[in-house]
Amino acid sequence: MISMWVALGAAAVLAISALATAWAQSKIGTAGAAALAEKPELAGTIVILVAIPETMVILGFIVAVLLILRGGGGG
Amino acid sequence: MIVPMARLRVLGPKDRFQAALGAVQDLGQMQLTQVPGREGIAAARLDARGEVRRRQLTRVLTDVDECVRTLAAGRARPASFEMHGAATPQQLARWTRLAAKTRREVKQLEARETALDEERALLKRYREFLVAVLPDVRRVSGVPQLTSHAVVVPAASRGVLDGLGAALRAQLGDEFSMAVHELPGGDAAIFLVLPARFSAQLEAQLHAARVPEIPLPEGYRDLPLEDAIPKMLLRIGEIPQELTACADQRATMWRARGEELLHARAAIQDWLDAATARERTAITSHAFAIEGWLPARSVPSFQQKLAAAAGPTLVVETIAREAWGKEDVPVVLANPRLFRPFEFLIALLPLPKYGSIDPTPFVAVFFPLIFGMMLGDVGYGALLAGLALLLHHRAKAGSALRTACEIALPCALFTVIFGVLYGECFGDLPQRLFGLHPLVLNREKAVFAALAAAIGVGVVQVVLGLVLGAISAGRHAPKEALGRGLSAAMVLLVTAALLAAFKVLPAKLFTPSVIALLCAFPVLIFAEGVIAPVELLATLGNVLSYARIMALGTASVMLAIVANQMVGAVGSTVVGLLFALLFHLVNFAIGLFSPAIHTLRLHYVEFFGKFYQPGGRRFEPFAHRGAASSKASSADSSARSSP
Repeated sequence: MISMWVALGAAAVLAISALATAWAQSKIGTAGAAALAEKPELAGTIVILVAIPETMVILGFIVAVLLILRGGGGG
Repeated sequence: MIVPMARLRVLGPKDRFQAALGAVQDLGQMQLTQVPGREGIAAARLDARGEVRRRQLTRVLTDVDECVRTLAAGRARPASFEMHGAATPQQLARWTRLAAKTRREVKQLEARETALDEERALLKRYREFLVAVLPDVRRVSGVPQLTSHAVVVPAASRGVLDGLGAALRAQLGDEFSMAVHELPGGDAAIFLVLPARFSAQLEAQLHAARVPEIPLPEGYRDLPLEDAIPKMLLRIGEIPQELTACADQRATMWRARGEELLHARAAIQDWLDAATARERTAITSHAFAIEGWLPARSVPSFQQKLAAAAGPTLVVETIAREAWGKEDVPVVLANPRLFRPFEFLIALLPLPKYGSIDPTPFVAVFFPLIFGMMLGDVGYGALLAGLALLLHHRAKAGSALRTACEIALPCALFTVIFGVLYGECFGDLPQRLFGLHPLVLNREKAVFAALAAAIGVGVVQVVLGLVLGAISAGRHAPKEALGRGLSAAMVLLVTAALLAAFKVLPAKLFTPSVIALLCAFPVLIFAEGVIAPVELLATLGNVLSYARIMALGTASVMLAIVANQMVGAVGSTVVGLLFALLFHLVNFAIGLFSPAIHTLRLHYVEFFGKFYQPGGRRFEPFAHRGAASSKASSADSSARSSP
């Protein structure tokens, strides 16, 4: 049985990291789209730049999973 | 791999210069480079007449490009288009006339289409209003004491409406009627009927309120409204036919002149390319020199073909390796057939420098592997394979879509392989339906094992990247190579220490690993400077970044399981099944996009960051632009129109 606090903690980890990623991607994506309109050859670089902040939410997801599993959610 | 290149110099008597340059263009194997200037040697520039012709042909090319762009949009290229050698002066003159005439006609056609489009848009905008007010207009036209006005109030000035109504009421009392009709975009069309004697006052009011009359299209402005409206309504039906006639005229022009325009474009580009190429060559009062790059393996065949095409008086010599730097060399990638589609992924970045490592073979192995690890589902893999085969069959040879399909096929294969290992086919269906269990890993439950596998792939790829970096740097910077090699060893030591700490490896390995790490640390600082600890931490961060393989994989399998649970969760089995299918479809779409992006990112950032040296220049041989032009014989070079 997952305790309420563990579940809330996991949800907070995921939500905060997702919000941070979304904010960063919105900024990078806007600038990237503008750059792409002028220089289509930058597509590869922009894909990388947009994907970089996703590390935050992915690590957030992993921490959330670890919290739930370690916090008595299962094994 | 990056193809080894050779720099060649072609020397010959001055009277063979044009033939030699033409033959080099016909062969299309050599990228010309600037011949170093020396005393008594000058670039073979165009004379004043040639410069005039260059300017003229540049203008003609602009015309031809514009014509082709406008006429060829959405139409097939003429099947018979083929280049047959260089253009003659007569051809160039004819194409100049053809381009000017076609451009003029195309412009007229475009102007006609634009006018028709605008007229149609205007009529459509007011159609409902015109239909609504037509009966009133007819009634008013039969009563000479009355007059009518149709005006439009822009959306931004809607406040004027109330003011106008109040002002008219104050001046005219109840002797007027005002019908308001909403237009698309928020504007309002107003139809006013009032005694004719107040017409001047109304116009003054409208002028004061800055409300314009409805802009009738040209041709209707001088007609009374009761005559103009029926004609305009009729006209709405005529415009599409006229637009179709314009499109037919375009198609007819393309059929009649498309082939010649394409031929003209290729020939003019050839001429201009040759003019630019001349400036890279050198010429004396008796001889000429042409220098350029070509793949080293092509040198013997190039020498033979050039001698056959331009005569035996030419001398072709290879310039010694010591005389040129790597920075100037263009880059050609050559990989086995299976790996070649993955060059497309390398082309999204700047090319690797000449003399560095081509990452294509590594990408060809790791990209499908990591993609398969993430998606890992027999059903999705089979779907992906089917989709890739279908699109591959339909895509044109050499198109980006076909290349993408060729990349997708090995990805699908690895997805199926990992699906078997994970025991997944559209999620947990094998377990639900047949009670089958995963062969190696249950991603739904064994999250830690999946995480360890993902990090393991990260260790392998990052260490490989560091080793490649060490090999690449070893050729010119031994200290940097030492640093890279040591970093690779330290990543392995950290991994061994962690595995020993968690009892995956024997616990007695922990102490030796830590001692080795402590010993390696000062050497690393010696090799890479004080920044070394930060670099090492960043490298370990790169390894941890591979955790996304597990994260995306877990998300994918969880979504698939949720989809399967929908069958039983909704009252009706059929509705549940439909929901499940829809959810699987969404998961499949996400499963194609997300793993592809993240696998690319892992390669570009984590893997390439350790060894990739961008900055290479693409190999662009001096060749004819048209199809099959390389077969053109240079025997007619004396008759060609030379720059």
